[in-house]
Amino acid sequence: MSILHVSSASGEHRLVASDGQSVRDLLDTTALRVRAACGGSGTCGACIVRFISGEVSPPTVAEYLKLTPEERAAGQRLACQLRIRGDVHIELEHPAPPSEWKSIVPENLAEITASRPELSAHRYGLAVDLGTTHIRLALWDRRAGKRIATRRGANPQGSFGADVLNRLEAARAHPEHAAELAASAREAIMHAVRDILARDIGEVTPMLAEIGEVLIVGNTAMLALLTGQGGEALLDPAYWQKKVEFQPVDRSAWQQPWHLPNARIVLPGPVAGFVGSDLVADLLATGLTDGPPGSLLLDVGTNTEIALWDGACLHVTSVPGGPAFEGVGIRHGMPAEPGAIYRVSRSSGGYACATIAGETARGFCGSGLTDAIAVLLADGCLKSSGRFAVSPGPEGYALDPANPATAITGIDVDAFQRAKAAIAAAMEVLLRQAGMGWGELRRLCICGAFGHTLDVGRAQSLGLLPPIDAQGVELHADASLAGGERALLSPDGAQRFAALTDTIKAINLSLIADYDEAYINHLRLRPIAGAPSP
Amino acid sequence: MLERIVKAYNEAVFETDKEAAFEVVEAALAGGLTAEDVVFKVVIPAVEEMMSNITKDPDANLAQHFMTAQIAAEVTEKMLLKFQQPPEIIGKVVMGTAHGDLHSLGKRIVMGCLKALMVDVVDLGVNVPAERFVDVAQAENAQVIAISAMMVHTATGENGASKVRRILHERGLEERIKLVVGGAPYRFDDGLYQTVGADAWAADGVNAGRIIVDLIRGIKKS
Repeated sequence: MSILHVSSASGEHRLVASDGQSVRDLLDTTALRVRAACGGSGTCGACIVRFISGEVSPPTVAEYLKLTPEERAAGQRLACQLRIRGDVHIELEHPAPPSEWKSIVPENLAEITASRPELSAHRYGLAVDLGTTHIRLALWDRRAGKRIATRRGANPQGSFGADVLNRLEAARAHPEHAAELAASAREAIMHAVRDILARDIGEVTPMLAEIGEVLIVGNTAMLALLTGQGGEALLDPAYWQKKVEFQPVDRSAWQQPWHLPNARIVLPGPVAGFVGSDLVADLLATGLTDGPPGSLLLDVGTNTEIALWDGACLHVTSVPGGPAFEGVGIRHGMPAEPGAIYRVSRSSGGYACATIAGETARGFCGSGLTDAIAVLLADGCLKSSGRFAVSPGPEGYALDPANPATAITGIDVDAFQRAKAAIAAAMEVLLRQAGMGWGELRRLCICGAFGHTLDVGRAQSLGLLPPIDAQGVELHADASLAGGERALLSPDGAQRFAALTDTIKAINLSLIADYDEAYINHLRLRPIAGAPSP
Repeated sequence: MLERIVKAYNEAVFETDKEAAFEVVEAALAGGLTAEDVVFKVVIPAVEEMMSNITKDPDANLAQHFMTAQIAAEVTEKMLLKFQQPPEIIGKVVMGTAHGDLHSLGKRIVMGCLKALMVDVVDLGVNVPAERFVDVAQAENAQVIAISAMMVHTATGENGASKVRRILHERGLEERIKLVVGGAPYRFDDGLYQTVGADAWAADGVNAGRIIVDLIRGIKKS
């Protein structure tokens, strides 16, 4: 790993690069995007940066064609051709206009080798993971089996409320809000597609006609709001256990504003009123049912969805235990962005906080919060009850006394306890439904960005993750998107969704009498007691 | 000896250590204390102290309240089985979550405290129709109906507390049965309980116990 140092009008930025990565690919994952109008082949010549120092690849033919000798002598390079071979310093004088959309970091993408050689027309396809907080999507050349580009951006519905209930309530109360919520999500998807076509292909309108399929997965609330229907039913418990269907009322009303005349719009059905198609996509991406009995899947998002494969049946549920891990309700909580503390370790007499991109700590992302609480507990600063041994006051306990953004407050610990207890209790209920004990778990798939920087041992020490050998733990970052991509690239994608959905037994925790008791028992900060295998 | 037991028990509760609390109780029973003494001299004073501390202790968090209420409820439940004769119950509450609401946790915390305070609780579960609250309260001679609602639309909805109030009024029960509400929406707007026709509300599960006990005593006096 090397550091790319970027000087720009917005300031100095340090980014972590992998060896051989192009400057453009790296910058595309951040808010510092270069200008671009081709897929990084060097043909548009728009992505000019100035090389200052460091180890990089030599100029390519494309750069000789696009840059004059004077420009080259002044250090100008094409960011798509410039590969990072060590620590590098560049200047970005003319960045692309600011955009909501960034590329998904490559290590979060699943490796998928599949194609649809039988497709003769409309070879492009779009997979969309419509999340409560973020929208993630990938455009594929399905015929060639090539992922053209990905994007990740905020779900604009967030202006109606960060959580699902507020949005459903807004849609229920005012029909014009319902229409606005539906339109804003659909517009966002199209902005992202146009951004990909403009920057990664260099042609927009003709390419739109070549898109043959748009496959969208999401939680039930997102699907209801997107299709502008059924949101009211989701607020009514009578519908929670039932199978729900959300389909566009009029597909042409989507195709027209999208300018996608040839796109089939596919919304795989959700499992039940409270478990969406995003979970089924996770199952497709991880191959959970191909593993041994005792395989558990955990997708920590705004809602946390959990699936247990017992060898014959998939037991599935969903709990509202996620937002704390995305920084919601945490004093210095933040998403996993530059400046977020993702790891805490001991260092001479104090604590060292590792941050994303090595920037000055601005707060904690989910894994950093978990690490901080685990270290404070192990060192006796925190007690199992969640109380500090010595009250640090309302400002909290600063891991770095010189930086107030490294403080953990009592309220943060409380939010963490309640989130982890909800998840642990839900796992316990699923195990009970399957007649299994904690000791029988063999495989744990952690989906979502949360798992990416998580120290599994520390999460286990707090009772957030079950006791299971480290070899059995797998991290699948953007699994819902990967599942959607797999379905997009399979001629029977929709059937595979339906077949998995049919093996699922969805459990509504509100109807489980002892869930609350399990929840309270999991509030203490301690490892989950592994019940002995029968 | 009692003083030592009370101290050890309170310490265990403060640490939210259920296993330790049960160890103290078992040792106390082995040492000759009766189940009645455990409840009336150890558990109830601890619950009462917790209630008076809850607003004074800025470091106590929600998770700790849940755990302490659970300990009180479990210890009391276990001790009741060992009572020589049924304990004297101070009153009866009919409790459930509002129509359309499946959030049962708040209700559970209140129930835990009430049980420890010797209040009989009829649990109607979740998603309870308004008529049922009143029907059961009438049949059971309960003094209080307690409704938990965690979402704005279930707290203010026409099938929730407001409807219970209307039925109480229609049946002329308003002097005999009091209506209390609790849940997040009432915390965001502390006048909301009056809008929906409730007699009282509580900001947290532990204080709900105290408010309900006060209402029962008020009705029994009149």
